[in-house]
Amino acid sequence: MNMPHVAHNTATAQPVAGQETLLKVRNLQMDFGGLKAIQDVSMDLRSGIVTTLVGPNGAGKTTLFNMITGHLKPTSGEVDWMGDSLLGMPPWKIARKGIARTFQDLRLFTHMTVEENVLTVMEQEGWLWQSGGVSAKVARREKVASILERTGLKDKAGVRAVDLAYAERKFLSMARIMATDARLWLLDEPASGLDPNSYGLFLELLRSEVANGITVCIIEHNLDIVVNISDRIAFLDQGRLLADGAPDEILNNPELAAIYFGER
Amino acid sequence: MTAYILNLLVLISIYAILSTTLNFIIGYAGIFSLAHAVFFGIGAYTSAFVAMNLTPSFFVAIPIAMAVAALTSLALALPALRVRGEYFVAASLGLQMLAVTLFSEWKGFTGGIGGVIGIPPVELFGFAVVKPWQFLVLTLACLGIVIVVIRRLVHTSFGRSLKSIRDSESAALASGKNITIIKTLSVVLSSALTALAGGLYAFYMAFINVESFMLATSVLVMAMVIIGGTGTILGPIVGATLLMLLPGALSYLSFLPQTEIGSIQQIIYGAAMVLLMIYRPGGIVSPKAGGGTA
Amino acid sequence: MLLLQLILNGLQVGAIYALTAAGFSLIFGSTKIFHFAHGATFTIAAYLFHYALTNLGLHWTLGVAIAAASAVVFGIALDRFMYAPIQRHEGSFFTVFVASFGIGIVVENVIGMVFGRSFISVSTSLSRSVELLPDLYVSPLIGLAVITAVVCFVAVHMFLMHTHAGMALRALSENTELVKTFGLSPRRLSAYAFALGSVLVVPAAIFTAASSGLNPAVGHHVMLISLAATIVGGIGSIRGAAFAGLLIGMVENVALWQMGTQWSEAITFAVLFFFIIFRPSGFFGRAAVS
Repeated sequence: MNMPHVAHNTATAQPVAGQETLLKVRNLQMDFGGLKAIQDVSMDLRSGIVTTLVGPNGAGKTTLFNMITGHLKPTSGEVDWMGDSLLGMPPWKIARKGIARTFQDLRLFTHMTVEENVLTVMEQEGWLWQSGGVSAKVARREKVASILERTGLKDKAGVRAVDLAYAERKFLSMARIMATDARLWLLDEPASGLDPNSYGLFLELLRSEVANGITVCIIEHNLDIVVNISDRIAFLDQGRLLADGAPDEILNNPELAAIYFGER
Repeated sequence: MTAYILNLLVLISIYAILSTTLNFIIGYAGIFSLAHAVFFGIGAYTSAFVAMNLTPSFFVAIPIAMAVAALTSLALALPALRVRGEYFVAASLGLQMLAVTLFSEWKGFTGGIGGVIGIPPVELFGFAVVKPWQFLVLTLACLGIVIVVIRRLVHTSFGRSLKSIRDSESAALASGKNITIIKTLSVVLSSALTALAGGLYAFYMAFINVESFMLATSVLVMAMVIIGGTGTILGPIVGATLLMLLPGALSYLSFLPQTEIGSIQQIIYGAAMVLLMIYRPGGIVSPKAGGGTA
Repeated sequence: MLLLQLILNGLQVGAIYALTAAGFSLIFGSTKIFHFAHGATFTIAAYLFHYALTNLGLHWTLGVAIAAASAVVFGIALDRFMYAPIQRHEGSFFTVFVASFGIGIVVENVIGMVFGRSFISVSTSLSRSVELLPDLYVSPLIGLAVITAVVCFVAVHMFLMHTHAGMALRALSENTELVKTFGLSPRRLSAYAFALGSVLVVPAAIFTAASSGLNPAVGHHVMLISLAATIVGGIGSIRGAAFAGLLIGMVENVALWQMGTQWSEAITFAVLFFFIIFRPSGFFGRAAVS
């Protein structure tokens, strides 16, 4: 199969002052028996900008996320976060190193309240109590309150996740990730299905977190959202990274468009 | 009549402890154990052993029994919880069946098939608990303590971690939670408290044998938890009460063949489980909708 | 000679275990339903076979047909009337498992009430052992069990590899989305999975009825074996479950060389535990995905 050759125009994306490359992925490979889900993918994720991962269904975007977060063990390749290799680490350890993610199907803690969902994310220690004593406890509660305020969920604090409306659930998923001290956010279709108001709030939240130096990578299908959000786009198809660069060149590339819309 | 009621109340309380501790791991952690009767048995046999060879003091026999159960469950849980939930079900079923063989063969400790007889009454601060009403007070006190402990655990960060694991393991992992440790801890705690019930049972009955600790008992306690409802503290207690009253209630229906009462009971709660799962998975006592969780 | 005898017995038992385990693995692998009532299917088939031959005096072919029909009907009925409604509402592991468990209890006790709780078996000319060599008793059942198991596995293999429904079933275990491309509804496929998985149990049930005998609690033992073999063989691999079933059967019997029969469940547990600790993915399992 002929694959379009697109040079990695890493120079075209305007470097923003203060950007660092914190996540490096090199030659990642994922084989499931005979199925090669990810083939030789290498990319960098930089802080201070939003990188969007696009591609047709089944391209391997979520698989790539799973490999970074440790939910899947790569067949071969390297994943480096702030200089340390993440290979072979269990997901919870990787999470504690500052990598957080959302799921396409949200995976909220359904029978817990909104407040508990956000609070529990900050209680990572596995023993019967968290360290830090009363003062840390108070600090956590305050942080929960402020996050709920920012995501518009303040009035729903005592409501069970399973009883929330669609947009509220999406924001709870965001609230959970905001509660971590993570410096890398992997968001899997965070804005899909949101109404215009909610979408506006989401963009605001995202932009403010990005400005604080968070590295953000988003999987998104909706081209309008992609155009609006992205500072960089990485195009994945059948497990291969076909292109990685500024939005203009990727979106205006006719060969990539053909693949995306299935007119191979 | 009073003697009958007292006896029923003591047994209900003991089974309420069993169902509350099983609910802790099934309802709050999402761990399915078919081996609950094993820890009940370990608690009973160990308490009996200590009482007959060392001292029948409550404050010696019970803690030792709890420690033995905790260690045994640690050995089971640590490897089995590393992987998927189905593994723990299989491992616990295997453990339950293995334990029955062990209980039947290890004559030195369990008295083999004949069981252990002549267990002395338990002593509390030098005072021997002999009368049934005294024992009821003791058992209710223990039940109260167990409920308080579990309630406290559920409302802390540990309880939230457990619930998050129950609701979505992958999201809990992604939130930095070491699932294996947390689950193992919950199993160890649950087993230790189950052993408390075992000790109480041994002291109350003064005679124990393997019949009380077989798969049928694990199944009965599981039925209590499910029928009573898993999301609340009250649920398992309601379940225990209902299912302990069932044999008595059934005996009033004289058209039922008395020899088959055991089977009929099991059919009733088997069917109840199926129907509940289809129509009301939360059980009889469901958590308040739209409000907080228990 | 004793060892040889035990090995031969192990082969027979292993073949029986391989069949039941493969049935469970097929159902679990393709539908993701933890079909704890698989043991109940076994019990029903076995008891109906026994009833047909011993009480109704029917020919064994009719007995087999009745047993097979009952197993398939039971499996499909459970899928349609119990698992489907549950999956429509919530379908968590908990609800599916508990319902399955509950039905197992009901079946075990109903059978106990109707047929009695003592050990029963079907005596046929095939069950009688022939002294082949001094101290070596072989009954034709051993050979028959192994041959039947092999035939069944070949048939299942061909179904899964070469028929449309079979390939769709394999796709179902990989990816529910993929199935839609085959044009078959997941519901229909689910019925196939339950039918096939349940029918595999039938020869195993019949051989058990003819050899070691039955009592209503036999379902627990069957369930433990199926579960253990599915795990040891690797979740998702029917072949693995079959091999593991054979392995467990062999180990159980060869162990008798040194230990009494009451320890056979302990052996199964030991094998299971060994794999859980050292090789959780089993023989042929896939990488664990959260």
